[in-house]
Amino acid sequence: MPATDYQASFLGRISIRRNQVIAMDGNHEQELQDLELFSKHVSERFAELLSSPDDVPFDALLSISWLRKLLDFFLCCEAEFKGILMMGNDPSQISKPPLDRLIPEFLDRSVKALDVCNAVTNGLESVRHYQKLAEIVVSALEQKPIGDGQSRRAKKALTSLISAMNVDDKECSAAKATERSWSFSRRGVSSKDRVPEHFRSVSNHVAKNWSAAKQIQAMTNNLVPPRGAEGSGLASPVYTMSVIMVFVMWALVAAIPCQERNGLSAIHFPAPKQLNWAQSITGLHEKIGEEWKKKEKKGTAGLLDEMQKMEKLGNILMDFTDSFQFHGDITDQKAEEAAAHAAELAEPCRRMEEGLLPLQMQIREVFHRIVKTRTELLNALDQVGKSSPPLL
Amino acid sequence: MDGCRSGVPTYEGDLHVVAAAHHIVKALGATKNLSDDLRKILIDLDSHLSMITSNIDSKGGRGLVDVEERLDLAERKIMRWETDPMMIWDSGPKEASDYLEAVDETGKLVDGLRGLSVHENRKQKEILHRAMNIFQTAMSRLEEELIHILVRHGQQFEPKNMYSRSIRKDIVYDESFVSVEDEPTKETSSQNCSNDESGECIVDLVHADVIPDIKSIAKVMFTSNYGPEFCEAFISVQKEALEQYFSFLGTENLSIEDVLKMEWTCLSSKMNKWTWSMKIIVRVYLASEKQLCDQVLGGLGSVSSYCFLEISKATILCLLNFGEAVAMGPHRPEKLLRLLDMYETLADLLRDIDTLFSEEAGSFIQLQFHELLERLGESAIAAFKAFRVAISSNGSLYPFAGGGVHPLNKYVMNYIRMFPEYWNTLNLLLKNQHPGVADQVTKPDYGPDTSLLTSCPMAYHLRSITSCLESNLHKKSQLYKDEALQHIFLMNNIHYLVQKVKGSELRLFFGDEWIRKHNAMFQQHAMNYERATWSSVVSFLKDNNPGSSSMSKSTFKERCKGFSIAFEEVYKTQTSWSIPDPQLREDLRISTSLKVVLAYRTFLGRNLAYTDDKCVKHTVEHVENSLLDLFGGSSRSLRNSRRW
Repeated sequence: MPATDYQASFLGRISIRRNQVIAMDGNHEQELQDLELFSKHVSERFAELLSSPDDVPFDALLSISWLRKLLDFFLCCEAEFKGILMMGNDPSQISKPPLDRLIPEFLDRSVKALDVCNAVTNGLESVRHYQKLAEIVVSALEQKPIGDGQSRRAKKALTSLISAMNVDDKECSAAKATERSWSFSRRGVSSKDRVPEHFRSVSNHVAKNWSAAKQIQAMTNNLVPPRGAEGSGLASPVYTMSVIMVFVMWALVAAIPCQERNGLSAIHFPAPKQLNWAQSITGLHEKIGEEWKKKEKKGTAGLLDEMQKMEKLGNILMDFTDSFQFHGDITDQKAEEAAAHAAELAEPCRRMEEGLLPLQMQIREVFHRIVKTRTELLNALDQVGKSSPPLL
Repeated sequence: MDGCRSGVPTYEGDLHVVAAAHHIVKALGATKNLSDDLRKILIDLDSHLSMITSNIDSKGGRGLVDVEERLDLAERKIMRWETDPMMIWDSGPKEASDYLEAVDETGKLVDGLRGLSVHENRKQKEILHRAMNIFQTAMSRLEEELIHILVRHGQQFEPKNMYSRSIRKDIVYDESFVSVEDEPTKETSSQNCSNDESGECIVDLVHADVIPDIKSIAKVMFTSNYGPEFCEAFISVQKEALEQYFSFLGTENLSIEDVLKMEWTCLSSKMNKWTWSMKIIVRVYLASEKQLCDQVLGGLGSVSSYCFLEISKATILCLLNFGEAVAMGPHRPEKLLRLLDMYETLADLLRDIDTLFSEEAGSFIQLQFHELLERLGESAIAAFKAFRVAISSNGSLYPFAGGGVHPLNKYVMNYIRMFPEYWNTLNLLLKNQHPGVADQVTKPDYGPDTSLLTSCPMAYHLRSITSCLESNLHKKSQLYKDEALQHIFLMNNIHYLVQKVKGSELRLFFGDEWIRKHNAMFQQHAMNYERATWSSVVSFLKDNNPGSSSMSKSTFKERCKGFSIAFEEVYKTQTSWSIPDPQLREDLRISTSLKVVLAYRTFLGRNLAYTDDKCVKHTVEHVENSLLDLFGGSSRSLRNSRRW
């Protein structure tokens, strides 16, 4: 993550605080300005994400660093949102219509997002495994001269890698875990390098029958843009933040292996084009959705840029090792090509090595932040409930 | 290191390379802080290099033929197993060591051949590829053997013998706050723990006999650069074993949403199970896993801790997530003790966690533990506050029949009776929590009596809780129309409160002064009761003119009748009242008896002249016996019963 991102978010936070102080005077004008500023920041941030150049691998759409930027933006938006909702306004507002309905719905969405965070964290364990297998491929093929031995070593790791990446989402879930065994069926198998069956697929799951796609679908329940007079009040940041949350979770699930993603591309959240900030999110949603639809049919571990590169190079190298085994030897040109591809494969490995743990930690940070805000909102509601006259 | 393992230098020119390598190995071997494994490897290399030097000296350039012969021999040894359905390590130690020797030999040949210039003759290149091919077959086989050994010799251990389900709490207190009817404590069959709670307990996750085998496979795979394959295989098997053990403990994965929706009784048992599983997983399983990793991979730098982290991370996160979900849930009062259990378990395990995950990569896990601990603490405080709020806001529309001990009182007192068990934790958590403004009155006016225990934060909060309870009970007493019953109710309940305090460790926190004060309080209510009930009854027996010798017959008759009616009325009403404590009931009867029976006897004695008259409906004995029927909890009538 480039240092400038942090700088930007830091400045963003300062500006929120300044605005909150003024808003506490009860200045309605100021409140409107706050809301405007919030949506302006949101659209700026997402426009930046949308404009990520595809040709610069480091920042490519759905690359690890892109996801980290997305999560960083989420955290910034969230902080700003909380500021607007809880500090800059009359606290009793959150218990009055329409917020008395919107806030509980928002909290419900938050809880669902937490489970998605956990599912994605589990998924990152699989990505870590792909990385390790790919590293074996790289280290086998970077040796010179390439012989049958290394080629077979690479092929074995590639077979595990490709089959692991093609594991159906359903297999990620509970059913398979118990049936797994370590049988190699030694008798009668002539292959020289047996790949153990069910070699380390995703076994950790959120819960039985849990589905990431259904969870995100459920997060979009009741998610409608505020209409009429509501549009100028606090209903609008609640809506904006909800859309951001759903989008972030949706993007994570599309990128990283996850339990049950059937129907992920069918999810759409109504973000009216006339809203400035919505345009970039819709743009991203369409772009990623298209990608997903293409891959969904074939079955994919996820759209994570590094993983896709791995898959592509993995398949090329698989062909190479196949032909190696078939011909027994290869031309120098082919060997050089393979070495070049192996070197290329080292790149996503390196980025995973650098980025996966920080990404995992950041997802955890998002998790904790959502928990914290939820607690604070519940406390605020509780407080308001106490101070208002009892209904009896 | 590969370069040093050269096996077949064929030219004199290589001699100086070997010599240089030899020199380096010797220099490395002189380093002081080397792990045993590494030292052994260096010694091996040393002897190997010496051998090469002598080879070169004696045979000069004729090495290639020799190499081919050596490779043929190793190949036969390695390839024969490819058609054998048996696993090598199952076939015996001789087979295993022969195999390892052949692998070692092949590895040396590969390294030696590779050390030569690539532009050598075709023959040489061919031999190298063949050697590498055999080597790959062997490595692949070793990976299979490793998985086979780990799976076959993996050992499950019975969790039941490890930690008793309820280590020190012998009472399960699972009732929800709103649904208390009877005494809500039930004793559980608490097994005795075979281990000291703080005692480390390490088991062999893999049979100790095969550890050297695994180590020898690790050694050869790592020195041949097949470390990643070893790690992936090792992690896969061990991770799955842990997950299986996890489900064997009966801990299922639950989404946060599920936990938040869960009913209290179910949640409570899950919280209980979590506390138990957490201890076993961390203190027994993970400690053992760590030991296994260190045994097998010690001396390979950070490999051991990397493998350990990869094996345990997912399960740990799963356990932590349940904790997070519980801490997030509504802060209901009944959750308090379970939350404290979880908090204490976690606090207790922090040191273990910090040791297990001491490496930098593990700091993420450490951090998550510390975060959860904080969250559980906050949640426990919130539940504590909710408990007090629930006590003061527990309202009733109707008076509690019979004036006995109110269920709220029972619930609260039985609940807080458990608090001393959590003394240290509660003190820590409540240190900065001030009791509400309304509770300032409970500040002890104890003076010199104040001991350390009665002035600790928990003691303040305990007294604040009972004072909430008392004022609620006062409110509830107002629901009785009968003033006497108000006093019976308060007497019963305050007596119960004092008994509960006296009969448990609570007394240390409430202090003698509090007990004295509350003893006096219920005694006062007993006296008030007597006055409220019996003053008017006894007033019939009072001599209005103490000067005169006796009253007129008509007055006597009237008084007698009045007394009878009043007494019968009291009898009818107060037999249905209840004083659950037998001692208290006895005491009150005696004291009532003293007052009423004595007055009646005197009254009759003074008017002996009229006592034969039918107007004396009850004899002194009747009255005395009838008093024994009071407070039995079921209404009786004197008019219908003719037992005297």
